[in-house]
Amino acid sequence: MSVNKTAAGLTLAASLLIGAAAGAQEPGITDKAIKIGIFGPLSGPNMAYGFDVVNAAKMYYDKINKEGGIHGRKIEYVVEDDRCNANDLVAAVKKLVEQENVFMLNGGSCSAAVVAAKDYVVRNKVPYLMLNASGDGALFPPTDYIFGAYSISQYAVGGAMVEFAAKQFGAKNVAYINHDDAYGAWNLEGSKKDAEVNGVKLSVESINPGINDVTAPFLKVRAANPDAILLVTYARPAALLIKKAAEMGFNKPIILSVTGTASLNQLAENVGKDALKNFYTQEVMIDSPGGAKLKPIYDMYKAAYPDLAAKPDHPQTYMPYGIPPAMSLVKALKDAGPNPTREKVLAALKTQDFDSGVMAGRMQFGPQQRAANRSTIFIKYDGTTMAPLPGVFTSRWTYQAK
Amino acid sequence: MSSPPLASPAPVRRALSGPALIGLVVAMIVAVALPVFTTGYVVYIANLLLVFVVLCLGLHIVIGETGQFSMAHAAFYGIGIYASALANRAVDLPYPVAMLFGALVAGAVGLFIGALALRMRDIYLALATFAFGEATQWVFANWDSVTNGPNGLRISPARFGPIEILSDKQAYPFVLFFCLLMIGLTVAISRSRLGRSFRAVRESEVAAMAMGIDVRRARIVSFGLSAAIAGFAGGMFGLFQTFIHPDSLGFQTTILVLTMVVVGGLGSIAGAIGGAIVFGLISEVLRQAPQYQEIIYGAILILFMMYAPRGLFAFIGDRIREARHGR
Repeated sequence: MSVNKTAAGLTLAASLLIGAAAGAQEPGITDKAIKIGIFGPLSGPNMAYGFDVVNAAKMYYDKINKEGGIHGRKIEYVVEDDRCNANDLVAAVKKLVEQENVFMLNGGSCSAAVVAAKDYVVRNKVPYLMLNASGDGALFPPTDYIFGAYSISQYAVGGAMVEFAAKQFGAKNVAYINHDDAYGAWNLEGSKKDAEVNGVKLSVESINPGINDVTAPFLKVRAANPDAILLVTYARPAALLIKKAAEMGFNKPIILSVTGTASLNQLAENVGKDALKNFYTQEVMIDSPGGAKLKPIYDMYKAAYPDLAAKPDHPQTYMPYGIPPAMSLVKALKDAGPNPTREKVLAALKTQDFDSGVMAGRMQFGPQQRAANRSTIFIKYDGTTMAPLPGVFTSRWTYQAK
Repeated sequence: MSSPPLASPAPVRRALSGPALIGLVVAMIVAVALPVFTTGYVVYIANLLLVFVVLCLGLHIVIGETGQFSMAHAAFYGIGIYASALANRAVDLPYPVAMLFGALVAGAVGLFIGALALRMRDIYLALATFAFGEATQWVFANWDSVTNGPNGLRISPARFGPIEILSDKQAYPFVLFFCLLMIGLTVAISRSRLGRSFRAVRESEVAAMAMGIDVRRARIVSFGLSAAIAGFAGGMFGLFQTFIHPDSLGFQTTILVLTMVVVGGLGSIAGAIGGAIVFGLISEVLRQAPQYQEIIYGAILILFMMYAPRGLFAFIGDRIREARHGR
């Protein structure tokens, strides 16, 4: 045996040993599988936010496994119910990390609950990708371990709406009705840059989410004679305001944020079609739910869950939201190479930039950027048909350390 | 509203005899050794259960001992969490002092609610305390400058001298110690003159007055003590959890604690402790069966109400006595 062959043999043996040792140090990684922890609300009153989102992520991982996995390893997932409750979510995360020894986490549909896991995830240096929670409280200030807002960051919601009002209608004076809570403050803060760049004056009216009579705030914004009204509220105040606008004969564009309704049909029933003559709604996906561009996702769902798909209320509205975070996780694992470590995956995530084919904007992270999506489309809705308008509108908001 | 079936306070000597004593010793050994042979996840659940035990003891004082209805205990618990966390952050108090501060603030609010509740009984008292609970949650969610509003509040890790609590296993001995302390305090209150006056008020306010008990004072003090213990449970929560959100302090938490106390055995300290542990564990176990958990949980509650209306521990005691007498 030549010296070269001996050296090569020793090198190979050493590298195998090093590789094995490196692999052994990483929880949840074997030669054949990568174990990940998925969690979301699978029961209780908030189930609609996460049940089918979790199903979408699972079906994407199953698809990757059928295609051969990642560098020869299959994705093995363990699913936990977090009930959208902070205590239960932390229990789920701790179980997945300490008992199931998962390599990384992919979960959370409710922003308030996911923030409760932040300190634990960071202390234990576990890569954590949210599902459809915007979770800005856990994303900013940025850490090395938490990535999310694959649907959209709360900070970006209002800015994209201002951009749309300015570009689509040439609006210069815009009424901006938001909530008088932290979410309202976040989206207003994120809107300011877009308003400034577009030369738009914002007439802001902040209301309580539990408001019952919107007459006074509506009269106040109408007195400002706006070119358009932006409603950055939840469903109930939004419906009240749209109805009030119709009653008061307001006929300029009304633009509703993505947080403003989970069901446009329900909104039409509540406010009446006459109130929707000049109405536009924001959508974070590339098409309206169930639209032609999203057909492959809906077909995939039907194939994966035929029994569920046969039920009238499935797939739930947010189902496609589960795909981009799963894509992000798979891409990070692929980019981390054949011997993935948590640090390699985190490094890959920090520079990730891809088109999911599901969301309106690219999924982009950066040194300070932990919210994947800042873009939306807009749909004209007249109470019967949804007509997506051309163009993608992106918020200029970026995180600035204070 | 008809009076719920109440357990009589059992003499300690009788409760700790024979198998009960062996069971208690085994439980204590398991409790003390838990962090050695389990994962951090199990210890986290244990910490949560111990906090709920103390919260249930707080509710037991007002409902079980004094017979007053309260649906405000999630609010007192929340006041304890926020007050201890904010005191710890603002003046860097040693954490036990911060916990005591949280308990005192909650207790002071409890005294106030107790004074307001003097003219109310039964369903009216329930509604008034429910309204207070809802209002308090609204304050947590909207007093941005103090509670950080709907963003939730980050709780700084607790410190005991040089020790900073950064994990569930580190926190566990302290949580267990404080829980045992609160059990001891509740037993002491129950066996004191004050406890007897609470029970006299529970059985008949007219008879209590005839015996010279200041019913007014007993009801107010009962609310205050009960709220202080719930507030202390909030301080214990901050030992191992680093975040609180107003959503966690709503009606759902009140109902959970009420269920634990009622199903454990209204009027019994052991019932309050057992109810918290058993129902806390059932809730966690059912998390593994999300599709069926509401049905199973509901079925368990109905079965308890049908076959063990005096509570879990009274039911077990009855079965043991029946077995001993060969019936």
